[in-house]
Amino acid sequence: MSHFQGNIDNFGMDSISLAGPLKAKLKAIQAAGFTQVMLQARDLVGHADGWRAAVQEVKDSGLRVTGFQVLRDFEGLSGHLHDYKVDIAKSMLEMCHALDCHVMLACSSTSTHATGESQKLVQDLRKLAMLAIPMDIKIAFEALSWGRSINEFPQAWDIISEADMPNLGLGFDSFHMFATKTPMEDLELLDPDKIFLVQLADFMWNEIKTVEERISTARTFRVFPGEGVHSDALATLVRKLHQLGYRGDYSFEVFNDDYQQIPLDVVAERARKAALWLGEDVLRRSVPMPNALRLKRHA
Amino acid sequence: MSQSPTARHSGTDREEIFEGPNPLGLVGVEFIEYITSKPQSLGNVLETMGFRPIARHRSREVLLYRQGDLNIIVNAHGNGGVVTERPQIAAIALRVQDAATAYKRALDRGAWAVPVRVEVMELNIPAIHGVGTSRIYFVDRHGDFSIYDVDFIPIPTVDQHPPAITGLHLFGVVQYIGNERTEDWTEFYGSLFGFTALEDTTRFGILPKGRILQSPCNTFYLQLIEPEPGILDVEDDECLQRIGLGTPDVQATVAALRKLGMDFVPPKDEAQAQRGALTRTPVAGAMFELVQVTPTPGAQNRA
Repeated sequence: MSHFQGNIDNFGMDSISLAGPLKAKLKAIQAAGFTQVMLQARDLVGHADGWRAAVQEVKDSGLRVTGFQVLRDFEGLSGHLHDYKVDIAKSMLEMCHALDCHVMLACSSTSTHATGESQKLVQDLRKLAMLAIPMDIKIAFEALSWGRSINEFPQAWDIISEADMPNLGLGFDSFHMFATKTPMEDLELLDPDKIFLVQLADFMWNEIKTVEERISTARTFRVFPGEGVHSDALATLVRKLHQLGYRGDYSFEVFNDDYQQIPLDVVAERARKAALWLGEDVLRRSVPMPNALRLKRHA
Repeated sequence: MSQSPTARHSGTDREEIFEGPNPLGLVGVEFIEYITSKPQSLGNVLETMGFRPIARHRSREVLLYRQGDLNIIVNAHGNGGVVTERPQIAAIALRVQDAATAYKRALDRGAWAVPVRVEVMELNIPAIHGVGTSRIYFVDRHGDFSIYDVDFIPIPTVDQHPPAITGLHLFGVVQYIGNERTEDWTEFYGSLFGFTALEDTTRFGILPKGRILQSPCNTFYLQLIEPEPGILDVEDDECLQRIGLGTPDVQATVAALRKLGMDFVPPKDEAQAQRGALTRTPVAGAMFELVQVTPTPGAQNRA
């Protein structure tokens, strides 16, 4: 890596930002200089030659898989609904494991059939994390801003803390934090070692008034960091996380219908600009980053 | 991750307090199973460790070895996976009060069930997935009427209860784990089975590394060992690595086993020679550790 390339190693793109088959997405992401990619289960199961062929394509690309998404509506269910979701979770964990990926994203339940009783949520998340232990997978639990009983990250953090599993931590998504206007100071609550993934996205509206608008913006009109109207807040957020001691990955969780209609390399180039902005202007990184080797820590 | 494992298992898990410290009704280890495509080589090693072959499986190339209270199964078929020449510990069978209840409780808390393929007239032994490709069985038929009565045919004229050499018994099993995986596996054995972590200052034998977990029935230990610091990520390298055998007198055991043909790694000094010993065999993967254990009242040794 030269001084002119910038250091974007712990920023990654998400396959959901791009149209087309998996192979084309991986190629575009890599060509833009990224070393990692966030994948969704659909990338694998929708592959013409089956999901194992998709896994092979990912491995052949040499890209590291940041995380695997997303298990929805897992916690709070009972009886046959719970058993059904456990089966879904197991299938996803198996795919995540096959990818040599060590983070699986689970987002807070939106189901009206789910209880909000915290002891049950804790019990279910403990079970999910336990299922993931033999496979060396961490569960990043994310507060969806339209989640039924957990919709802001401090609530997710409370449940995570109560569940107290070594491989259960927070999946943090800037979009949801900005949408619910959760105070930035609440970040102080977090243990940086228990933030397993940070997803970043910007959007074009200053204010999101209704839950419906929140959902539709989240799913169709997010943009890359620096492209929307929340650039300053995003910069503050990233600096704050860095200050807290977070040194994990940042993935661009950019759902955008327009990006699905333009060439992949154009979208990937926009992502690259966002990564350079965050790495160089916001975090002012030295190149290469010192102590970035993934070595075992001394106790 | 900042909390000590002891704190985690005593204070925050309400259910554990409610259910008591031994939620599965664990009583010990019924057998340990190896798989290898060279069962005779491993068998020879086991015999020089004092084990005797006592029974054959009805339908598969599987032998049961025994000494004292410890049963070792040598399986030449594997469990659907690849069978290598190098012996691997493929399963630990835990003695529990009620296998069905223990199995269900483990599944309720997030264990993976192993689908069982049973031949005609064979026992269905419930199992969950353990580390790597290994399994953990739950057995509640031990003592007078054992699982072996159904699946195994005794080898004629062979003593079915060969005594343990110099009081040898199961001390524990060593598990190799990946970088920064100690807390994960501590939680796994703690929540599912009720194992508790010993203080880091409590050490046994001559290879004092890693974290030691004590079974809730106080009859054996698991030792979790991460790679040396500074080693790059080791992927897919987690496994049950070796068995540790307890003895009240390491040097007497070493002398007795030498007579049977076993070789040992030379000890550094006299003190080490008393604390433990490590076997040296031509069969890679078939290593045993001897650990000095002061006999305690109630220890489950038949010999």
